[in-house]
Amino acid sequence: MTESITIRGKLRYQLAVNVAGRLTLAFRRRRNERKTARPGWSRDVLAPPLKLSARMKELMSRHYLGGRYANGAKKVAWVTSGAPIEILKALGFYILYPENHAALCGARRKTVEIASEAENAGYSRDICSYARTDIGAVLSGKTPVGRLPRPDVLLACTNICQTVLYWYRVLADYFKVPLILIDTPFIYEEAHAHDVAYVKRQLEDMIPAAEKIAGKKLSFKRLKEVVRFSREASFLWLEVLDRAKHRPSPITAFDGFIHMAPIVDLRGEPVVIDLYRQLLKEIDVRISKGIGAVKHEKKRLLWDNLPIWFKLRKMAQTFAGYGANVVAATYTYAWGELAPMMDETRPLESAAQTYLHPLLNQGTGHKLESMQKMVREFSLDGVVLHSDRSCKPYSLGQIDQRDYFVNHAGIPALLLEADHNDPRSYSDQQAENRIAAFMEILEDSSNAD
Amino acid sequence: MIDLPSRKKVIREFQKKGGKIAAVLPIRYPRELFRAFGFLPVEVWGPPHADVTLGGSHLQSYTCDIVRNAVSFLLSGGLDRTDLILVPHTCDSLQGMGSVLLDFVHPKQKVLTLYHPRGVRKADFDFLTEELKRLCGELSDWTGGEPPPGAFWEAIYREETADRALARLYRDRELLGLSDREFYRIVRSREFLPAEDFIENEKKLARREKRSTSGVPILLSGIVPEPMDLFDEIETMGARVVADDLACGTRRLYKSGHSEDPFVRMAERLFSAPPDPTRGSPISERADHLKNLIRKSGAKGVLIYDVKFCEPELFDVPLLRKKLEAEGTPVNYVEFEMGKILSQQTLTRIEAFIEMIG
Repeated sequence: MTESITIRGKLRYQLAVNVAGRLTLAFRRRRNERKTARPGWSRDVLAPPLKLSARMKELMSRHYLGGRYANGAKKVAWVTSGAPIEILKALGFYILYPENHAALCGARRKTVEIASEAENAGYSRDICSYARTDIGAVLSGKTPVGRLPRPDVLLACTNICQTVLYWYRVLADYFKVPLILIDTPFIYEEAHAHDVAYVKRQLEDMIPAAEKIAGKKLSFKRLKEVVRFSREASFLWLEVLDRAKHRPSPITAFDGFIHMAPIVDLRGEPVVIDLYRQLLKEIDVRISKGIGAVKHEKKRLLWDNLPIWFKLRKMAQTFAGYGANVVAATYTYAWGELAPMMDETRPLESAAQTYLHPLLNQGTGHKLESMQKMVREFSLDGVVLHSDRSCKPYSLGQIDQRDYFVNHAGIPALLLEADHNDPRSYSDQQAENRIAAFMEILEDSSNAD
Repeated sequence: MIDLPSRKKVIREFQKKGGKIAAVLPIRYPRELFRAFGFLPVEVWGPPHADVTLGGSHLQSYTCDIVRNAVSFLLSGGLDRTDLILVPHTCDSLQGMGSVLLDFVHPKQKVLTLYHPRGVRKADFDFLTEELKRLCGELSDWTGGEPPPGAFWEAIYREETADRALARLYRDRELLGLSDREFYRIVRSREFLPAEDFIENEKKLARREKRSTSGVPILLSGIVPEPMDLFDEIETMGARVVADDLACGTRRLYKSGHSEDPFVRMAERLFSAPPDPTRGSPISERADHLKNLIRKSGAKGVLIYDVKFCEPELFDVPLLRKKLEAEGTPVNYVEFEMGKILSQQTLTRIEAFIEMIG
């Protein structure tokens, strides 16, 4: 049931995306750049938004615009966020990340309307809210980006959760397209040789399957180039996040959540490298001028788990109101920390290692160690663990992780119950109360010091 | 009716003979491997009577009850007589449990894990074979030795015989003259009885002439039918279970293997199981399997009875319902919280369904 690529389709794509779309989006970007603050932005406690946000928005809008016109012009793959996309990218697929689309729906407060479509079709509210948003969008066609392209292939990688496989089985049944699975055994302690060999073999097996759909052979030269771009962008992303080690931090974790879209969605493209280089420049200007993202930074915090997409600004402002900057997040870091494993000279071997080792595919103890390291390196005063009803792999273990920080490391830690995308599993009042109590504890702990 | 011993009694008697006990979480694992090393696998599906507050100190309330209850049971001392805990990586909740046990709870028992691949490709099969070798190596390291010569094959043949006995039980269920509760008590004794005892019990069950049976025939799907009172209630409501797609039931009807390599043979057996979302089976394959069960058993409806927060099951329900109802089979989905008693709400929903299809 895949769509053929036609000259008409390609022409339509060129005109709509690369000519009219480019001009319109560039115009919008310039208009946005002239704005000094976002609507509703609390300038009393937060520095103005990063100027590069407008450029990032333009890039992501162009990506989604490309999706709108992709069918008929390019082969389309829907992929999970931790999937090894380099092979597909090298074969020229348009790549859509339903999780990112769902997050976008969340940030634009469209989740309830769209997820309800899935719920009305029988999908329980106990399943991941990303999945419900995506399935709802598929069933209803509702999306804030105009239109999602129909996939020619689905690629699910279990390195973030098993949920994605259950979800993509539903999509495969709906679209009647092949589902390529990259199964990544969970690493409780350390990866075994047969785990790595298994992932590598699946990557090798994926190539002919993807080539068949793409209708062309994979160029290893091109694959190596894509891996190099992915690696470089991932290192730059890591550098961006590491700038938060400065006091005051020039960015917040919420800036990270907003600016991570390109490393997720456009990894492997040189435009991401360019964007993050510019972002680094802007951040370095802030550092040189002593500008903190939170105006009166007194406390520095770590965020664990996905953000609450529909409350990003609210969370940033609430913490900033207490003089607290959530400077680092395990989630944003996860998109950069594997950069050293990527190796363009051994694209498949290194991809097997890289995609086997995301934070979410490793044990709860490993995540605790990662958080401890971040607490040290970012000079953090406390930890906020978002207990995310929709993400069990990220959330299970947090009760013990919190207990460790509080009882053994003497670091105040808050377990905040919410959901990354569904506002019906979140209460403003409860969250504010919990945060207020936590900030008191933080204050008390520093007074005791 | 066979007089089945309790799990406690089975454990005590096995230990008296010098055997060790492995507590095993759902769903798939190589029983024969554990038996070869002198362990009796005793499965932990909850249990429903555990005090869940204990598990709540490690796992959030949105974790499935099977996992929360199992952790609670462990913390309350319910697994004190076991030597080892195997947590197969069946789903995200069991992944979390395995990880939390290893990293934070540190129970006195050795904790082992097993990753069952999510596909049925050659690469998946070869991986599973290697994974079984790894598990064997860990057992060997921990116990300080290899199984006695011949123990591997003896255990493999015995478990294959027991699985054939289980398949015969299902084939002959209409001839056994047992209530659903009695039938599933025997089926589920495979969760803790030594294979040799299970085989003997199956032999003892007399087959009778097929009688005309009353009650609306239904197919029961889900993970585990707890509490077992469910079967009494279904019978009281005027229905009977004629087939199942339970994770603790027919989803583990393993065929005998063919290979002369013990690890390949164990992998062959695990791979021979019917479709299951926890193994990544396509939904259409599972629906076709259910249609086949319905056709063979004469079930007039499908009751999907699932423990709350079971994601693998939840994702399949809407499409299974659509595909089965398109062929004229009504489907009812009932979610339950694992506890000692069935809620009135659950019972009312089941009763209404049975009335509708009756």
